[in-house]
Amino acid sequence: MSDAAAGSAIELRQLTKVYKAKEGDVRAIDALDLQVERGEIFGLLGPNGAGKTSTVEICEGLEEPTSGEVRILGRSWGEDSQGIRERIGVSLQETKFFEKLTVLELLELFASFYAKPMPLPELLALVGLEEKATQRYQNLSGGQCQRLAVACALIGYPDLLFLDEPTTGLDPQSRMRLWEVISSFREGGGTLLLTTHYMEEAATLCDRLMIIDHGRCIALGSPKQLIAELGAGHVVSLEAPGIGERLQAAELSSLASVRESTSLGDELNLTVEEPHVALPAILSLLREKNIELAGLSTRHVSLDDVFVHHTGRHLRDEEPRK
Amino acid sequence: MRPSVIKQVAVTSLREYLRTPEAIFWTYGFPLVMAVVLGIAFSSSEPGAVRVVIPETSQAAFADLLEKDNGRVEIEVRPADAAERALSMGEFDLLLQGSREDPSLRIDPRRPGSELARFHLERLLAGESETAGPRIEAVTEPGARYIDFLIPGLVGLNLLGAGMFGVGGNLVQMRTRHLLRRLTVTPMRRSEFLLGFVSSRVLLSLPAPFVIILFGWLAFDVPLRGSILTVFLLTLLGALSFSGLGLLVASRVRTVEGLSGVANMVMMPMWLLGGSFFSNERFPEVLQPLVQAMPLTHLNDAYRDVMLGGESLGSALLPMLILVVIGLISFVVALRIFRWK
Repeated sequence: MSDAAAGSAIELRQLTKVYKAKEGDVRAIDALDLQVERGEIFGLLGPNGAGKTSTVEICEGLEEPTSGEVRILGRSWGEDSQGIRERIGVSLQETKFFEKLTVLELLELFASFYAKPMPLPELLALVGLEEKATQRYQNLSGGQCQRLAVACALIGYPDLLFLDEPTTGLDPQSRMRLWEVISSFREGGGTLLLTTHYMEEAATLCDRLMIIDHGRCIALGSPKQLIAELGAGHVVSLEAPGIGERLQAAELSSLASVRESTSLGDELNLTVEEPHVALPAILSLLREKNIELAGLSTRHVSLDDVFVHHTGRHLRDEEPRK
Repeated sequence: MRPSVIKQVAVTSLREYLRTPEAIFWTYGFPLVMAVVLGIAFSSSEPGAVRVVIPETSQAAFADLLEKDNGRVEIEVRPADAAERALSMGEFDLLLQGSREDPSLRIDPRRPGSELARFHLERLLAGESETAGPRIEAVTEPGARYIDFLIPGLVGLNLLGAGMFGVGGNLVQMRTRHLLRRLTVTPMRRSEFLLGFVSSRVLLSLPAPFVIILFGWLAFDVPLRGSILTVFLLTLLGALSFSGLGLLVASRVRTVEGLSGVANMVMMPMWLLGGSFFSNERFPEVLQPLVQAMPLTHLNDAYRDVMLGGESLGSALLPMLILVVIGLISFVVALRIFRWK
């Protein structure tokens, strides 16, 4: 194995980041361990402020960790920052490029930084911006800007790609186009660290993912594993005013086929093995307690339910910001 | 460092500038408009009349003055309290009261026009004619008028602005747009970026001084007596020096508002004390160390020596050295403390 290929793509040991603030220190990352293997598409999933971006930016060498160890492609930032920069590709959460430059000119600039950049026609075709090559950056749509940002990240044939919320705020069509770009990068054998707060994105793209909240890992595994860990394939969601307080957890979990209940105030989520068995029992309990439902829905367990299971909160944040 | 990267960064910055019409206006249009306005404002050969106010209570005492047509002195009568207020607001240079035999003058001695007003009024009170006294000739030959003083000063200011906003402003904008941090996660070296960017901005600030000088010559006959090569060298060093200052000013601030604060803190004293609009040689002794510490002072002096005095490169060596030293110190400090995030 050559030196360049030695080691995991990303290795974080007890990573901690504390931001000093007037109102007291903020622990953005709290003793996080993470290992991403080469060729993996790894997702960091969590709500805003969970510590995803801080983690990624420490990996990218943009932020210094307060403590802990960081190894990227087998090297540390202190030893060989230039070597790492030549082998990674980055798309930050909010970057605005030079307004008056055309797509092609911006790519020429980034190409000049790398010893062997991807030929620009090939790159343009990869991200589907051939027709926009001579358009100025200021005239691009949000989705096109994002694809350009990803193109700039891909230009140096990176071994490791970082995409920080690449699809936030994009319409479904633009999101699909970016997913295609990511898939073709995966086929080339590259490693990707992706952050997102869209659970379906994480479920579709990622080989493995880590759900983080308040800078800590709350779940780690493949999307299938994480869902399987809940022990039941379905969720029954009941809505009624104050329903969480009116029903005891014990009486619910004793019902047939119900594994667990999570109260969210006016909403009650039950993980259920077989809905057709559980539903009659649930409804008769409700009748017994004289609870009138405002709504009832059943669905397959999703990553959001995994998050709810661990934190008692929804990932929410489904709507694009700004 | 790789020349190809430096070149690509410079080309990027040049493209961005050349496609921004408003940036071009602030480089070329603004100094020319200023030259025209100030040139015309100060080119009238007759100085304006001094303005005197008399409170109504003293109107009768000075009736004889009011009847005469005084070319140099304009007199108005106002109610007593209004007269006092108008004087303090600067509407008048002088307030005249008391009796004809025992007149008293109220002036603000700190105001430049006051002494002139007193001089003219005293002659008027003594009944001397305006034409009495030594014959007076107005200075009108090129090289000795206010516009001749002004044009080199505008050139200096132009370079200062180019450094502060061209270098400083653009860098801060790239920082707020997260573009600087995006660039630093590539194999681009920071020195390559700064060298490419600053050299493009220096290149961009070179033509404007010559446009201003050419305009001064065409519109007002402002001479260029020294060598144009010396002027070029001065311009190059001035641009480099102020680019360093711009880099320093922009090295830490995170917002465009923050930059305009810091840039104004640097620019305002130079506008006032740098000798662009009026000579700073007669400023109070306590201010002189500050005046001498300003690169603009030396750049302006050197331009005037070369353009108006026809001095050669030799006489500009000291100011050039000062510019180089100030520029170098700024660059070194800026690079140490520069914030890429």
